[in-house]
Amino acid sequence: MMQVLKNRDLPIIAALTAALLLLLAGIAMARFEDQLYATQQTRDVAEQAQILAASVTAAVSFGDRQAAQEYVDALKVNPDLRGAGVYDAKGKLVAKFSRGNALPASLDGTHLRAPGAVSRGDALTVTAPVAMAGRSIGAVTLIAITEPAQRRIARYAGLVLLVTMGALVIGVLAFSQAALARRAGQLFEVNSRLQTEMAERQKTEEALRQSHKMEAVGQLSGGIAHDFNNLIMIAKSNLRMLQKKSAQGGSQTGQYVVSADEALDRAAHLTQRILAFSRRQPLTPQPVRLSELVAGMAELIRHSAGEGVKIHTDLKARWWTLCDVNQMENVILNLAINARDAMPEGGSLTIETHDVALKKPPPDVAEFVPGDYVSLVVRDSGEGMSEEVRQRALDPFFTTKPQGKGTGLGLSMTFGYVRQSNGYLVIDSAPGKGTRVTIFMPRHPEDES
Amino acid sequence: MLPEYTVKAAYLTKFVPFIEWPDAVFASAAAPVTICIVGEDPFGATLDTAAAVAAGGRKLAVRRIPEANAETGTDCQIVYVSDSQAGYDAVDALRDKPVITVTESTMRARGIINFLTLDNHVRFDIDEAAAEKNGVHISSKLLSLAHSVTRRSDGP
Repeated sequence: MMQVLKNRDLPIIAALTAALLLLLAGIAMARFEDQLYATQQTRDVAEQAQILAASVTAAVSFGDRQAAQEYVDALKVNPDLRGAGVYDAKGKLVAKFSRGNALPASLDGTHLRAPGAVSRGDALTVTAPVAMAGRSIGAVTLIAITEPAQRRIARYAGLVLLVTMGALVIGVLAFSQAALARRAGQLFEVNSRLQTEMAERQKTEEALRQSHKMEAVGQLSGGIAHDFNNLIMIAKSNLRMLQKKSAQGGSQTGQYVVSADEALDRAAHLTQRILAFSRRQPLTPQPVRLSELVAGMAELIRHSAGEGVKIHTDLKARWWTLCDVNQMENVILNLAINARDAMPEGGSLTIETHDVALKKPPPDVAEFVPGDYVSLVVRDSGEGMSEEVRQRALDPFFTTKPQGKGTGLGLSMTFGYVRQSNGYLVIDSAPGKGTRVTIFMPRHPEDES
Repeated sequence: MLPEYTVKAAYLTKFVPFIEWPDAVFASAAAPVTICIVGEDPFGATLDTAAAVAAGGRKLAVRRIPEANAETGTDCQIVYVSDSQAGYDAVDALRDKPVITVTESTMRARGIINFLTLDNHVRFDIDEAAAEKNGVHISSKLLSLAHSVTRRSDGP
């Protein structure tokens, strides 16, 4: 049976038991008090009877009714006494007072010899012999009212009420305690279920991310394979030309080696870009002046942009910034290539740098920290983008170039790198109005120029 | 014999439990309390009967003597005197002795206890002061029954 009881039921049972015990204890205490009171009263009355008996010895001895009556009358001050009587040696009533309770007109020998107490109803009758020098010469009788049952009950009603209230309080507390325990148990169950669900959800999300990545790699393979293929073809044809010229004994073979070398370098760079995309490439930031960096890349930019594009530079920035040089070069090249692709018919490409103290966040930037920044602006006079394209331009794998021509990773990689460096990237463009990409790199904190 | 003397005879014996004499007046612990009648005896056998049934620690003895002086009277603890010169002399002689002298209100002499008749009831006066002076203690219970009490001056 005990196994059926649950742990949370135990407090209720314990509390109910405690309440019951309290109640029983209260009743027992009341009964004990009652008996104690009765005993006490009997003793009190018996003492008074003995005092009276001792007082009236002379009066009884001399048969002096008047004197005996005086002693009896003296007892009237006690309201609990309903009657008192003094009897002589023959058991005849000598003196008495009565408040309605009939005193026996005479006593038999037993009462004259030994004290006695009889409780009948609500009256307690006590007799005590009047003794002189060890011999009984009479007796006295006292009749006292015992407290009526109703009055006793009323006397203990307060106690009973208190005990009952105590029991009730214990009961209510135990009940609410049990309810709380039950609620806590439910909460615990719900919580553990929630945790299980969260863990499952995390696993599901991880799997989803993995599948997204696989999908991305699948989409990527087209463009990368094409780029790689082109680079391998360039390297291969240069090597073939080198082989042909060597067989003919030609001496001017250096350009083939250089071309093959360049193609292989570009293939290596492509790999690096993929690594950057995965963000596993460690960054090695160092103080750099963007103006000097751009100036040093002039040749590279010209090659990237192609012949139909005029290049202007306006490099005004003097502040240092902290960045990884290779990454930053990659960013600039990427932007230049994007500009070239936006101007298939040729146009102009402008690269500017400025020192800027930003107080308000640039457009579309959410988490902004005011301070000194070095801006790099790459502007083309190309076809521009629609607002829809502009908003998605930073998404990975988003590209407007035909399949095989682009991976859609250039801008998103750039954006990722800039954010990693606590900078901002803003695209400003409209169809037919060209595109302006601005990068804000934070000023190097130790820059004192 | 007048009926009042039956009552008085009973009273004489009933006084005893409420009176304490100095231990020196008794020859031994078992010695009785002696009630003496000086002169004419108005009680007769009634007193002997009352003495025989009287309640109390010591037994009661009744002696009838013609006269009592300061020496012979001290063998008695209670002395009831008759209305005679011998009686008055006894009261005078025992005035400073630990003896309870008993007289009647009709007499010229006044003992420590003095019987009187009031509304056909036998009552008594007690000269507590005189008794105490002689080393005899009378219980307040007995005093409370007296018609009048001459209190001792140092007491309540």
